[in-house]
Amino acid sequence: MDVNSRKRELVKEFSPMLEKYNTSFKIWIGILIAIICVGLYAFILQFLNGHEITGMRDNVVWGIYIINFIFFVGISYSGAFIAGILHYFKTPWKNSVLRIVEIITVLSLVIGPIFILLCIGRLDRLHYLFIYPRIQSPITWDIIAIMTDLIGCFLYLYLTFIPDLAILRDYDKLKVSKFRKRLYKFLAIGYQDTPSQRERLEKITKIMSAMIIAMAIVAYTVLAWIFSLTVQPGWNSSIFAPYFIIAGLFSGVGVIIIVMFLIRKLFKLDRYLRKVHFVGAGVVLLVLSLLYGYVTFSEYFSRWFSHKIHDIDLLDTLFGRYFWEFIAANYIGILIPIIVLFFKRFRNVKSITFAAVIAVLGMWLNRYLIVVPTLETPYLPIQDTRPEFLFYSATWIEWSLSFAGIAAFCLFFTLIIKFVPIIPMSGIIDNERHPHKKHKKSKYYLIE
Amino acid sequence: MKTTFYRYSIIVFLIGLFISTISIAQENDASNYRMLFNVNTVKQYDNTRLLEASFIGRNKKDRKDKLPIYDAEIKFFNTLNDEEILLGTSKTSKEGIAHITLPENQQYLTDNEGYIILKAVFEGSEGLEEEEDEISVKNLHLELKLSEIDSVKMVMVNAFVIDDLGEKLPLEEADIIISVESMFSNMKIEEGTIENGEFEFKMPTDIPGDINDDLTIYATIDDNEEFGNVIQKETVKWGAFHNHKAKGKNTLWSDYAPIWMYVVLTILLGGVWINYIYSIINLIKIRNEGKELEMYTENQ
Repeated sequence: MDVNSRKRELVKEFSPMLEKYNTSFKIWIGILIAIICVGLYAFILQFLNGHEITGMRDNVVWGIYIINFIFFVGISYSGAFIAGILHYFKTPWKNSVLRIVEIITVLSLVIGPIFILLCIGRLDRLHYLFIYPRIQSPITWDIIAIMTDLIGCFLYLYLTFIPDLAILRDYDKLKVSKFRKRLYKFLAIGYQDTPSQRERLEKITKIMSAMIIAMAIVAYTVLAWIFSLTVQPGWNSSIFAPYFIIAGLFSGVGVIIIVMFLIRKLFKLDRYLRKVHFVGAGVVLLVLSLLYGYVTFSEYFSRWFSHKIHDIDLLDTLFGRYFWEFIAANYIGILIPIIVLFFKRFRNVKSITFAAVIAVLGMWLNRYLIVVPTLETPYLPIQDTRPEFLFYSATWIEWSLSFAGIAAFCLFFTLIIKFVPIIPMSGIIDNERHPHKKHKKSKYYLIE
Repeated sequence: MKTTFYRYSIIVFLIGLFISTISIAQENDASNYRMLFNVNTVKQYDNTRLLEASFIGRNKKDRKDKLPIYDAEIKFFNTLNDEEILLGTSKTSKEGIAHITLPENQQYLTDNEGYIILKAVFEGSEGLEEEEDEISVKNLHLELKLSEIDSVKMVMVNAFVIDDLGEKLPLEEADIIISVESMFSNMKIEEGTIENGEFEFKMPTDIPGDINDDLTIYATIDDNEEFGNVIQKETVKWGAFHNHKAKGKNTLWSDYAPIWMYVVLTILLGGVWINYIYSIINLIKIRNEGKELEMYTENQ
């Protein structure tokens, strides 16, 4: 195989994704920027007026910002976990999903912590966290974990980009700006795909893969501890850390399936993102939904059975005021994916994506039910029990900032896949360079 | 047809937005409520007397449903036989409470046994009938003396009434509570009995007090049949706030984290960052090799 000509062929194949900016692309970017601008306006209002203009009060001090934070960070950690594991798989099909997972990982980890900043009433005192850190505080652990993880994920993403950046650098006919070409050259750091360079890069990528799996577990555990180390009913649970990790993986796999579906549809990448990928991810989602359902049941059942006064108050709230939300999150959000994914006949691209959408929405709602009802049933009720003080409902400020976060995620994702191909070209070449005979025979590789 | 349907749907939706399910109308029909009208009195620490009337309706069917009567004018009297002296007037709050405070030097009509009869009257309105309640109490004087004898902190309470001749008559027997002021409510320290007008109690020395080491001590006679509620208080520098500085134990709540926490975090973070540095060093090596290769190609 002539590697260089194969590289040229691949760039030629993927170049339309990198070069073309059609009208629908511009409209898409415009909509995303508009949503972000509304979010920025809401942020300015919140900064000037304080949290008074949000639904958060003395009792319910956390609202949908923290829910978005947990949600995004959960997706990121699950992405890191999956990307790390996939790197050790010798299957050719992993190549098509690997970059999607890696980009989701990094972007979620960038967007998620922004929401925690929005939760802080006095942003002007943010630097105190760094000047006067208390090493015994889970909040400090979380800051350290997130920052370390973010740097690690960026580094890992960059390592996986290098061979493709070198291929793009070497292809003269690519119709992109001079600045972009210079950027490819700078970021490719003189990678020439020599055996020694390849070996060195592979070695550090492998170590980083293992590292980000460990970091994902540590960091998400710390995030779960922020809740479970308190004595609040609904939070004080010894299984919260594994519960969070399973829930994070569950929502993360869901988001990956949705993104895979959109990319396959928009860029017509049926050749690379095949049914086998969806079925594989669907089976993983099925296993995770069973695990997640089990842990959720176990969590609520033990609370109900032990019948402690405050736990019962919380369960009354969940099965009273939040009845439909509870049903949607913990019944529909778990059972629908299980039913859809369990039967082979339902396992097609669309229904798997549908199950993923239900799982992701249910998961977000589950986070809401973990945070808000608990804060609405405190140990010491506040004296002024006006409904707006006692009960939480998000204002338009919070919703617009939440949607701005999702829009920012989509915007950055779109820009990244305009910068490097969403299917790693170097991965395709590697597979062709070292064909995995064993896997060619495998069932999953052959079936469409 | 379709457009009309949509238009009306939007109008209904918009109207729906203005309907609040949590809004509560003012109750104006009290026929389902039985009125509870009570008067109470507290002799306060500055020897003023608080007169308080509570006016609350209780649902005849649902006893948990209580409705405070708001803005009702309550008149407070001191009565003796047919004689009636108006002490003051007050309107009920949103909690259904009306109160007045009588000064220390207030003169009262008393009966032969020394009882003051205090009465609260609501004269009725269109929807509510007249209500009245009375209470009889003796004017008890409570003195709180705090002294430190040989490093022992003693709380001494004297309780007496003054007869017509101005003589102090010690209180025979009554229950008393000693408490200290804390953030939300008073913290009970001791419960005892005043006998022959005296009660003594040795104060614990480990109560923090406020930042200035001040401790506010209360002596309270609560709901006594003869004397009602009587409170006395004194502030003294008996607090041990500054003696309570926690030593640097290795607990999560102290200034310092446990040693093992520093060790574990350092190992974890050290391991991760060493790996980052290792990766960066390898990236530099890749770049250098690329440069060499480029120069070699150029020279060729």
